[in-house]
Amino acid sequence: MAREYRKGAVSSMEVTDGEPVGVIAAQSIGEPGTQMILRSFHRAGVASVTVTSGLPRLVEIVDAKKKPATPFTYIYLDEHSRKSFEKSLEIAKKINEVKTKDVARSIVESFSTGKIKITLSKQMLEVNEITAGSISSKISKMEGADASVEDSTTITVSVHTRNLKEIRAFAVKIGNLTVNGIDGAGRAVVNQEPGTNEFYVISADSNIDKILEVPGVDRSRIYTNDILAMYKTFGIEAARNAIAHELDKTLKEQGISVDMRHLLLLADAMTFTGKIKNVGRHGLSGEKNSVFARAAYEETVKHLVNAAAFGEVDNMSGVTESVLVGKQLSLGTGNVELAIRKQDMAKIGKKEKK
Amino acid sequence: MQAENIKLIKFGVLSPEQIKRLGVLKITVPDTYNEDGYPIDGGLVDQKMGVIDPGLICKTCGAKAKVCPGHFGYLDLVRPAIHSEFSKVIYLILNSVCQNCSRVLFSDEELEEMVTAIKESAAVETPMHAAINTENMALPSNEIKIEANGEQGKEKEMKGAKAKESRTKELVNAKSSKEKTTALKKLKDVRKCPHCDFVQKKLKFEAPTYFTLGDRKLKPDEIKDMLSSISDADLRNLEIDPKTSRPEWLILSSLLVPPVNVRPSVTLETGERSEDDLTHKLVDVIRINQRLEQNINAGAPPIIIDDLWELLQYHINTYFNNETSGIPPARHRSGRALKTLAQRLKGKEGRFRYNLSGKRVNFSARTVISVDPYIDLNQVGVPKEIASKLTVPFYVTEWNIEEAKRILSSEEYPTALNVIAKDGKRKRVTETNRKELLDALSQGDIIERQLMDDDIVIFNRQPSLHRMSMMAHRVKVVPGKSFRMNFCVTHPYNADFDGDEMNLHIPQTLEAQAEARYLMAVNDQVFSPRDGEAIISGDEDDITGLHLLTMDDTEVTKEETLYLLGSVGIFELPKQKKAGIFSGKAIFSMLLPKGMDIEQKTRHGIVRIKDGELVEGTITKDTYKGKSKILAYLAVTYGMEELTRFIGLSARLADAYVTLSGSTVGIKEYRISKKIAEEKENAVRATMDTINKLVEQYRKRKLEPLLGYTRRQSLEKMILAELTKLTDLNGEIIMKHTDPQNHAFKMVSAGSRGSIFNFVQMSMLLGQQSTMSGGRIKRGYMSGRVLPHMRPKSVDPISRGFVLSNFYSGLTPIDLYMHAIGSRTSVVYKALLTARSGYLQRRLMNALQDYYIYKDKSVRDTYGNIIETIYAGDGIDPMKVLLAKLGKK
Repeated sequence: MAREYRKGAVSSMEVTDGEPVGVIAAQSIGEPGTQMILRSFHRAGVASVTVTSGLPRLVEIVDAKKKPATPFTYIYLDEHSRKSFEKSLEIAKKINEVKTKDVARSIVESFSTGKIKITLSKQMLEVNEITAGSISSKISKMEGADASVEDSTTITVSVHTRNLKEIRAFAVKIGNLTVNGIDGAGRAVVNQEPGTNEFYVISADSNIDKILEVPGVDRSRIYTNDILAMYKTFGIEAARNAIAHELDKTLKEQGISVDMRHLLLLADAMTFTGKIKNVGRHGLSGEKNSVFARAAYEETVKHLVNAAAFGEVDNMSGVTESVLVGKQLSLGTGNVELAIRKQDMAKIGKKEKK
Repeated sequence: MQAENIKLIKFGVLSPEQIKRLGVLKITVPDTYNEDGYPIDGGLVDQKMGVIDPGLICKTCGAKAKVCPGHFGYLDLVRPAIHSEFSKVIYLILNSVCQNCSRVLFSDEELEEMVTAIKESAAVETPMHAAINTENMALPSNEIKIEANGEQGKEKEMKGAKAKESRTKELVNAKSSKEKTTALKKLKDVRKCPHCDFVQKKLKFEAPTYFTLGDRKLKPDEIKDMLSSISDADLRNLEIDPKTSRPEWLILSSLLVPPVNVRPSVTLETGERSEDDLTHKLVDVIRINQRLEQNINAGAPPIIIDDLWELLQYHINTYFNNETSGIPPARHRSGRALKTLAQRLKGKEGRFRYNLSGKRVNFSARTVISVDPYIDLNQVGVPKEIASKLTVPFYVTEWNIEEAKRILSSEEYPTALNVIAKDGKRKRVTETNRKELLDALSQGDIIERQLMDDDIVIFNRQPSLHRMSMMAHRVKVVPGKSFRMNFCVTHPYNADFDGDEMNLHIPQTLEAQAEARYLMAVNDQVFSPRDGEAIISGDEDDITGLHLLTMDDTEVTKEETLYLLGSVGIFELPKQKKAGIFSGKAIFSMLLPKGMDIEQKTRHGIVRIKDGELVEGTITKDTYKGKSKILAYLAVTYGMEELTRFIGLSARLADAYVTLSGSTVGIKEYRISKKIAEEKENAVRATMDTINKLVEQYRKRKLEPLLGYTRRQSLEKMILAELTKLTDLNGEIIMKHTDPQNHAFKMVSAGSRGSIFNFVQMSMLLGQQSTMSGGRIKRGYMSGRVLPHMRPKSVDPISRGFVLSNFYSGLTPIDLYMHAIGSRTSVVYKALLTARSGYLQRRLMNALQDYYIYKDKSVRDTYGNIIETIYAGDGIDPMKVLLAKLGKK
């Protein structure tokens, strides 16, 4: 990167020692927050997955949520499949998650007989290329019930229990049963990259562990916006990059330019311990070393009480603590000290005289 | 007092002995004043605990009200009570030790492990090493999944083993009480004591203070006994410091009573005294305590005693925290809940966030702001009224004593308001003592003189969202009552002049003044650290002006040229284009330095400057603000001071030119020709046809659905795409046919204000309303329509919020309604957004505030953790990246 710049410019481009880069990063990410527009720009590309964007997405990333509100995965394909739409479609169909309720017209439970009647939609069965038989055998594999095919669009399930609550719960469970595709992969759609004309699959969920096992998927290029899934599959470094990348993407979408360095610092802050920590009460701020810093942020009483009970010590080195007692900060210009103290100066003078 | 001396603060619990030692008197009377209005001895406002009324003298230290810091009293509880705030900790500790032998529930092996773990962590004591040490890096060793190969059973086994192994290590490595708590919680699951084999009974805890062991309710004194029998050594094994925090001290047998200074009473106009909430609560505690004592002494039945005991517990709970869940809050006579200790500390208005993290300052001013084109970017106009009240310290030395005397002797505006003699006493300068002070003035004194031109001050507008919200300016004393500022610095402050107020701070020490002058000055803030773009620059009319001035065919007469250049202080003429005619480009070039050679390609064409002459191109927003090469070049080659001078002068020149040439937007700018109207008509018809065809296909079930979508969803998506296309097409039509002389259009092409979409909305059509949730408007009646004027379940553009009319010709009633839906939604969202983004900013700030660049360019926090080994991987300041890129030749 640095090579491009004119001679001598690099040294002056260096960050200054003591620079409070954290504060600057926080301001750089937080300040444009007010400018964000909530209107979602759904691109003219018709068949794409809708994605949370703007401030809500920013908050979501920073919160390190278990799962994003709208997860998606870009599944790139290997050389054999990426050029052909038919082959790509085939892979998409293998991945595309179909639940019973997606193909059923109705799922009706009868409390008196303990039977659940599933009426399937012929059209949906055809579209997804599945039969009543395959659904029935999937249901039979579930514990506590037997399924039998009545005709090509009807399945009856007899539940072993007579408990009304359990019957209802079972009916719901059948509805959510994945009957085709990959469990937790979501809806999968084929898309085409404009530049390279390469076909790829977008799915509306993030079970990348399982998706990677599908033959024809390029294992080196998969991408999901689910940061935790990235962490679990590829480790903390990948998660760090994913956080920075997602932040960058979200801000760019809104037409806000923030230097990558700020985003990388935030991503590093969230991951430097080896685990993903969120920004807030239960993460970075809640686990600070200083009692006062935690107490001044949130849950004041709790932190003071615990500190007292364990006999905790506060070294008063952070920003918050210094402000509380009115002491000079150890950041920025407060970071430098005199190399020679006044009283030592006097000593030096004496030695010289000798 | 110097806070620099505070090295550390240790937290702990007061023992009953300490409480008694700390207290200057034992409080026995549950009352405050007697009938004569004198404090009762042994009561809650006993003068031994300090005095608050001026004139009275403290009976303990003999000092006057303002000097006496106050002294604690104490109260003996007849029966012990649990400190309710600590009950969770008590539960944790009780669960961590054996109910029989009071040993820790760690096995001997675990304890041994702990000793080695402590040794290990002690070996890496320096914070830097602590961060490098692998253990503290907390690799996700026990959490990471070795999943990919699918050996899930094995993995679970490993997880279990690791968890057990790390129980003690986790405790030792815990950096804060919070981490210790989570580590200790694991001991709750130990069923059998590893030391005496006693099977632990189930200990139940119910908020706020009820403990049950097995099926027997534990009383505070029993809990106290259980806690007392834990040995000091075992407490250390639990990472609790027995010196400062013996757990039995968490059960109160004496209560510390805060001095009256902490709970001052107010005298109302009627002469009636109104006591502080804390005093009220303490009265309750003492009263119940006495009743309990009387009953015990009288040998009352245990039920009554237990009832009173519980009541005492209640009052103590609410004394500490009146918002504990599970108990009703204690109320004032009026029904208002009392504000007790916890409430004083908590939340935004609590002691921490309101008084400790936020501080009030002197030497500051606030008033309305207004523009002044003749004030420099780095100046601020301060009204004389304000300047004559604010002061700057003037240190009298051997060399400036004459100057000091001159200031002090003046009876008019630039004079001194106070003199601080060497002994630190501040004396107000008045007409009567001026002479006297003048005679006594000597080296080492400080005089506080009024604010004068060129003093350095910090100017600020809230909300202070980034560092450019506080910049250092030079004072320019002006008449009037408002602060004046240059228009170009409006952007970093996000200020406008519709009544905005701003704050002014006067740095008082020489160090602070130097820092402000060299680090916070407007000059040094031109480029934003967010992305390196110029945030201070001319905008709006300035851009329009320069755009018009630098157009190829702009010709200016000699008189006009003299006026223009005169307004920026240039009194020579550029080269003539023809006799008596000067080109606009040449006039602009007068502001550029000789030898400047740059070229910048933008969307609006190329801008080429050769040897300080604008030879090709027209100035637009891309070349005048943000990523402007002109600004970057000037900064790199000539420095920030020259840059700010250029920004100020060019903006003034631009304003002079728009004033001269005139640029106005009237309704005629938005009137469209017949030709455009026709093209619009055609475009609309074509789109409606396509949509009708789509709907037709859908009705006939012939619409090919998009993969992964139902037919209905596909139809919706296709219609929306068509409508978006239509809106864009209208933009193109406008762009193609609008007269380039149209003033509004000129603003759009200069990039100073407005966009093609604004044009479309005013002249062509409003477009789709309310796409907030990503779709068209669909809410309304159950029958599937937005308004009763439409057919149920209609999908055509008009009935789903696509507005074909424009602001020029007016909206139909249906259009108006649809537009109102969109407007309201965005108003609601905007309110929501500001609240959310404010909280986000607070959280980010709190999480990242301690990070700084260490001398090896790594990023560390003030506790010694390393966050990045080299800042962002390259150690380059984001503020300077664009500068280096654009500033080169």
